[in-house]
Amino acid sequence: MKLVTAVVKPFKLDEVKFAVKEVGITGMTVMQARGFGHTGGHIEIYRGKEYEFDFVDKIRVEIVCTDELVDQVIDAIVGAARTDTVGDGMAWVTDIEHVVRIRTDERGPAAL
Amino acid sequence: MLFAATNIPYPSWLNPADNTWQLVAATLVGLMSLPGLAVLYGGLVRKKWIVNTMLMVFAGFSLTLIVWMLWGYNLAFGPQSHFGPTGSFWSGFIGHFTPLSTAGAEQGQAVSGANTLIPFHYSTASLAYFQFVFAAITPLLFLGGLVGRLKFKAWLLIVPLWITMIYCVNAALLWGGGFFAQKGAVDYSGGYVIHLSAGVAAFVGAAILGPRRWQDRENAFPSNLMMVAVGAGILWLGWNGFNGGDPFYAGADAASAVLNTNVATAVGVIVWLLMDMLFTKQKKPTFLGAINGMLCGLVAITPSAGWVNGTGAIIVGLVASSVVWVAWNHLSKVRPFSKVDDALGVVYTHGIAGLIGGLLVGLLADPGMVQYGVAGAHYKGPGSFSVGGWFFTHSFHQLWEQFLAACWIIGYTAIGTTVVFYIVKFVVGGLRESDEALRIGDIAIHEEEAFPEPTFGEPVGTPSHLHPDNI
Repeated sequence: MKLVTAVVKPFKLDEVKFAVKEVGITGMTVMQARGFGHTGGHIEIYRGKEYEFDFVDKIRVEIVCTDELVDQVIDAIVGAARTDTVGDGMAWVTDIEHVVRIRTDERGPAAL
Repeated sequence: MLFAATNIPYPSWLNPADNTWQLVAATLVGLMSLPGLAVLYGGLVRKKWIVNTMLMVFAGFSLTLIVWMLWGYNLAFGPQSHFGPTGSFWSGFIGHFTPLSTAGAEQGQAVSGANTLIPFHYSTASLAYFQFVFAAITPLLFLGGLVGRLKFKAWLLIVPLWITMIYCVNAALLWGGGFFAQKGAVDYSGGYVIHLSAGVAAFVGAAILGPRRWQDRENAFPSNLMMVAVGAGILWLGWNGFNGGDPFYAGADAASAVLNTNVATAVGVIVWLLMDMLFTKQKKPTFLGAINGMLCGLVAITPSAGWVNGTGAIIVGLVASSVVWVAWNHLSKVRPFSKVDDALGVVYTHGIAGLIGGLLVGLLADPGMVQYGVAGAHYKGPGSFSVGGWFFTHSFHQLWEQFLAACWIIGYTAIGTTVVFYIVKFVVGGLRESDEALRIGDIAIHEEEAFPEPTFGEPVGTPSHLHPDNI
C-alpha cells in the first residue's frame, strides 16, 4: 500500500477530489498548510512597512491507496491540480507498512 | 398640562436641550475610548498583545475617572488656586484639590473659569463627565506609543500621576481660565491639551521605556484589520461629540463644528490615499494609510472645529494629512524619530497633526464663526465670542499666542512625562515586562489570550462540581 501526499493550490482542492474519486479512491484527508517552493513568498504593506510573507497558503492532501492504483491517483492529481504556473505544488509517494480500519479492525488492503 | 407647565423637575438655569446634548456628546467621546481605542489598538498590535493592550485601555479609563472624581476635575476646572498675583502665570496654573463628592458639587450649576460670557445651562455633573472623557482618552492615546513592552503595573501608576501632574495643568492653563487662556491662546477641543500632549508623551515615554524586542518590531504586522475598521469608525463618528460638544451649548456652533470635523476628516482620508497611490514605492492604496489620514483630519480640526469655516476645514484636512504623510514616511527615518520606538506612531498622527491644527487656528479662524452670542444682545453683536486668524485680521497675534501655547505644551509635557516615568520606574522597579513575558505576551502576563485555542477533546478525568455525579 502507498501513501500519496500532494501539496496543491487551495482553489484546486475540489477538482483534485473529483478526479481521485473517479479513479475509485474512497477517502482522503486534507490539511491547511503553508509552504514555499519556487514561487517564493509575497509582500504585504502595513502602515508603510513592507512585510515578506515567505509561506504561501496551500492544501496538503493525503490519500492511502493500493499499489495498483497509485499511478492512476498520481495522474488524477496532476491532471486536476495543474495550472502550468509556478506554485502548482508537488506530490510524492511513500510506502505504508500497515493499515487498520478502526471501526471494524480490518487489516491491510481490506481496510481501504 | 397644568402640571407640566408649572412643575419643572429641574432648576430654572438648566436647559434640557443643552444638558441632553452635553451628556450625549460626552457618551460619544467615551465610546471613542471604550471600545473605540481598545479595538483599534487591539487590531493594530500583534495577536499576542491584544488582551494586554485592551486591558490597559479599560484600566486607564477607570483610573482616570477615579482621579477625576477625587481631585482631577477641580484641579483642572475648579476655581483657580492663585499662587501668584492676579494675571500672572502662577495665578492661573491650577485649580483646587477638591473632590466631586457632595450633592451640591454634582447638581449645582456648572461653572468654569474659562467661560465667563454666559452661564452653563446644566449641572456640574454634566460638565465634569464631559471633561472626564477628554481626560481619559489622553493617556489612552499615548498608550499607543508604549504597547508591546510596558509593564502592566507601571501603567496603573502612570495614568493617575500623568493625569494629575500633566493633563490637569495643561487643561487649567488653556481651558480652565488659566494663563494661556487669559493671554488669548485657544484650543477648541483639545488639539493641544489632548493630542499634541499625547503625541509628546508617547514619544518621550517610548524613549524612556526603550524599544520593543527587535523581533516584535520586525514582525509588527497588525492582528485584525476588521477590528481596526470598527475602532476607527467609532473614533470618527465619536468625534461628533468630541468637537460638537465643546461649544458647551447645543447651538449653531456645535453644528458647524460637527460638519467641519467631518469634512476635514474626509479630506484627510482621500489626501493620504492619493499620496500612498502616487508617492510610495508600491503605489498601492492601503486601508491603514487611509485610517492614518482620517486621524490626521480628526486631530487637526480639533483645535479649530467651530472657529474655521468650511473652506478652512478643508484646508486643515489637506495640510495636516499631507504634512503628516511626509513626516510618517520620511521624518521617521531621521534622528531622533528613527531612534525611538513609538509603536503605533502616536507622535505623528496626534502630536504633529495636533500641532499643525493648533497653529492653523492662527491663520484660518474666521471671526464670522461666532461661538457664543451675548445674552440680551444681537447674536452676532459686539461682545460675542469668536476667533480671528491672519487670513481675516491680517494680524499675527493669534498665531503668536498659538505658538507660545504649543511651546508650553511640548516643553511641559516632555519634562513632566519624564518625571512621571522615572518616578514609576523607581516605585514599581522597572517599566518593562520581563524578557520571557515579552516573548510570550498576553498569556504570560494575564493568563488570557484574545482567541483561546480550542481543545479537541472533551474533559474526562477529575470531574469538577459541574459533573452530574457531583451535583
